[in-house]
Amino acid sequence: MVTEILAATSAARDTAPAPGDERYDSYCTELARQLTANWDAVLAANAEDIALARQRGLGEPLIDRLQLGYQHLAPLLELAEQTRKALPAVTASSPGTPAFGQSVVRRKPKPLGVLLMIYEARPTVTVEGALLAVAVGNAVILRGGSEIAATNAKLGELAANAARAAGLPEGMVSVLTDGDRRLVRELLKRHDAIDALIPRGSASLIDYCRTASTIPVIASGGGVNHLYVDSSADPAVAARIAVDSKLTEPTACNTLEMVLAHQDIAAQVVTELLALGEEFELRLDPALLVPGEQVSELSARDDGREFLDRSLGVRPVADLAQATAHIRQHGSKHTEGIVSEDPLVVQEFLDTVDAAALVVNGSLRLHDGPTMGLGPEISISTGRLHTRGPVDLSALLTYSWVIEGHGTVRGKERGSAS
Amino acid sequence: MTPTQARRAEVNDAVKRIVALESRLSLAPHEIPDAEPLNGDLLKVNSLGFLGMLVRLEDELDVTLPDDLFTGRTFHTVADLTGVVLLAVGEQP
Repeated sequence: MVTEILAATSAARDTAPAPGDERYDSYCTELARQLTANWDAVLAANAEDIALARQRGLGEPLIDRLQLGYQHLAPLLELAEQTRKALPAVTASSPGTPAFGQSVVRRKPKPLGVLLMIYEARPTVTVEGALLAVAVGNAVILRGGSEIAATNAKLGELAANAARAAGLPEGMVSVLTDGDRRLVRELLKRHDAIDALIPRGSASLIDYCRTASTIPVIASGGGVNHLYVDSSADPAVAARIAVDSKLTEPTACNTLEMVLAHQDIAAQVVTELLALGEEFELRLDPALLVPGEQVSELSARDDGREFLDRSLGVRPVADLAQATAHIRQHGSKHTEGIVSEDPLVVQEFLDTVDAAALVVNGSLRLHDGPTMGLGPEISISTGRLHTRGPVDLSALLTYSWVIEGHGTVRGKERGSAS
Repeated sequence: MTPTQARRAEVNDAVKRIVALESRLSLAPHEIPDAEPLNGDLLKVNSLGFLGMLVRLEDELDVTLPDDLFTGRTFHTVADLTGVVLLAVGEQP
């Protein structure tokens, strides 16, 4: 099976039109049309998966994540439209710049090639993968959780129909619904036929892809994110930013786990957090414990921890240097923030802290492709190569250098070229 | 240590390493008690992580585990999870 899939996707990669071709614009429109016309059939397939999941004893929270409804259609149609609108800008060549002699150089966007997306549950990811990857000229293999095999098969069929209707080659979208994990292992070894791997899901899945495969990985690691509150900050503003950074989606990768508050105002920050009256579990450094309040004590193991719930830690720090040392030791280089009114402190923070996104005086949840004005995204990368932060359409492209020589030769330097 | 005890210890360590990874914790297996709840103050094992957990367990233990190993069962503690994996690899928990 793997051989057939890879033959089809390789052929599609080799014959697909260049990014920017109008057929990709049509593909977005056709995919939206297919989803709209066949959403009842998608829901029927999803109902099969849900019935099987209940039969197998899956818990209701998990079933809730597997289940599709009419409310899921509109956001997917909007995503298709946003993707379509973004294509001209993202697929345009860079302006030419004069180089040696009469030559002019520019970058021409090229697809990454064949992408393998492995993910767990969440059927909407199937549409996101089929849409964003293919819209910029990639062929994609989608391997979702076996719990949504019927849903994925139907969505894959619709994506293939859309590609066909748009005039794209067969094999641009392949959905692997066989739950056999040996197929995944086999695919992970095929660096000769797969150009990039995009895992989305649990920590163990992403770690497995990183360590078991030599295919380049665009990984969305977890976020152990901090917010440094400088002594110059308004504690009330800091508390508001901290709460928004946590409670708007407590288990998201860009959520806040730990406030590192300057010791001069740490107690005031805690007071302001409690005054907001929000429903979260405040975990405080022993030095900040407040008698009579519903708080718990931070333990050493909470440093560097992704709570994955409504817990928020607060530790006092002597200064920015201690905060950055803590972040360096415990952070995951995903999203780090500062609240400060002192531009010198902000500059020092930006110079010394390394993460995919650094947020100044704002919610960590601003680290999000559409929110940042970058358009649709498929995940957030914490890797250093080749993309970092929101994995938007441009991150699914590489480029060729186009050198227009206008007859220019290297002359005496010819022998030095390698 | 008998071969059976060694195999049990190996499975126990592998399960603990994976639940620590799944919970995004930097803890060694010996730091996680057998009776530790899978969803408590320390561990946060998300049931959506089956694929990653299964492939890692299979690699670490050099076995093939059934697809539905984790489904249809209720796990409360690390020991519950270890017991199921032990049964799947032919050992008595």
